Amino acid sequence: MFKSTKGILTTLAITAALLLMSATAAFAQTTGSVTMTATVSNFVELTSGGAVTLTGNSGGSVITDGTANSPLAVVVNLGELGPSNTNSFVTLSVPVRLRSNVAYQLNMVSSVAGAGATSFSLKDTDVGFGLTPAARPANLAAGVDTNATPGDPTVGGSTDANGRWVFAGANSTLGAYAVSGAVLSGPRINKAVAANSATNLTFPAIFAVKPQFYDPAPAITITAQFTVVAL
Amino acid sequence: MPRKISRTLLLVALFVVSAVGCFGQSTTGTVTMSATVSKFVEINSGGAVTLTGNSGGGVTTDGVANSPLAVSINLGELGPSNTNSFVTAQVPLKLRSNAAYVLSMTATVTSSGTTASRIVASDVGFGLGTVSRTGLGVNAGSDTNATSGDPTLAANGSVNGTTGRYDFTAVRSNLSAFSSATTALSGPIIMNAVPRSNANGLTVPALFAVKPQFFENGTSTISVTFTVTAP
Repeated sequence: MFKSTKGILTTLAITAALLLMSATAAFAQTTGSVTMTATVSNFVELTSGGAVTLTGNSGGSVITDGTANSPLAVVVNLGELGPSNTNSFVTLSVPVRLRSNVAYQLNMVSSVAGAGATSFSLKDTDVGFGLTPAARPANLAAGVDTNATPGDPTVGGSTDANGRWVFAGANSTLGAYAVSGAVLSGPRINKAVAANSATNLTFPAIFAVKPQFYDPAPAITITAQFTVVAL
Repeated sequence: MPRKISRTLLLVALFVVSAVGCFGQSTTGTVTMSATVSKFVEINSGGAVTLTGNSGGGVTTDGVANSPLAVSINLGELGPSNTNSFVTAQVPLKLRSNAAYVLSMTATVTSSGTTASRIVASDVGFGLGTVSRTGLGVNAGSDTNATSGDPTLAANGSVNGTTGRYDFTAVRSNLSAFSSATTALSGPIIMNAVPRSNANGLTVPALFAVKPQFFENGTSTISVTFTVTAP
């Protein structure tokens, strides 16, 4: 009798234990968690702001034009820069487009080749340069951009003691950018908008050469490379 | 096992999208400009003509500084009724260049006369006077005058001992030496690298002289064309 009771109790105990285990397992599948990690990297972008404008040229032309939102890689023939060009300046205006989610700095490095090596040859200091950014529109992040150039290089300027044209102000010619240097900087450009948002900071980069009695040179090449970096 | 493959493919796809996103961000741009400085040479009037020793002559179309040279002069009477020693016309020339230059001249003399006593090219003395390279932007340089200078100088002419006719005897001292294009002046680059609006340049007077003599009566036309080239 005693043995029989003990067996019943043991069976009940095992059954209860199994039921408890079963219940515990059922309650563990009613919650769950998802953990995500992500990154927002510094983003700075430089592209073309659209078609370039070439004025005052004699025999020049735009060979590869700028296309808005495409990589900037314009090629332009400025034409004749000697005195047979009677225009006041040969001017090239290149729209540059920037976007960023952080403070940025736009640098430029430039070179002049094939112009000769005498004192009368066209030099990098004979190529005027400047940016003319406007105040940011309301659809961009608020902020003020710092222009390291004096702006439109065709404004101001005068002849020096030798009669040669001198562009006004500091950083007003490519002579200031034989090594990479800042031309524009500022706080973040874009608000928190979608990547395909068309909002951007677009401004013209202006290059100008005054036709003068330079040494004859059949193939002058002037190169300017812009690079935008995150600060 | 199929779920593992799916996860792997998803990860690969995410990496690809991420990579495309990174490479799509353009941070540099280039502006390449080509240009030419051609050889430039220019001849203009250096100013008003000076006519002396004339009898009944006058300047019909005068020279205007920095304007195309197209003067017209009536030398007046060249027969013995004109008692002056010479009828002279001094025509200022202005040259500018960004390269070495050669000034050549060609001349013709036509006369209604038919005899040996008519006015011919050798009766018209010619020479270039003192070359001046002065003013802001004008390059220092040494010019070569291929003429003998003022044709009225005693050293440049005299009465022919055989014929009694006055002869301009020095090298290239009369128009017969210029029946075809012949160099009258040459030299190095004239202008420094200055704008075309700089009005300075090389100035030199072209001197023409006729000794009134018992020429055959009639009318004569003396035509002179200057041409400047960059060799």
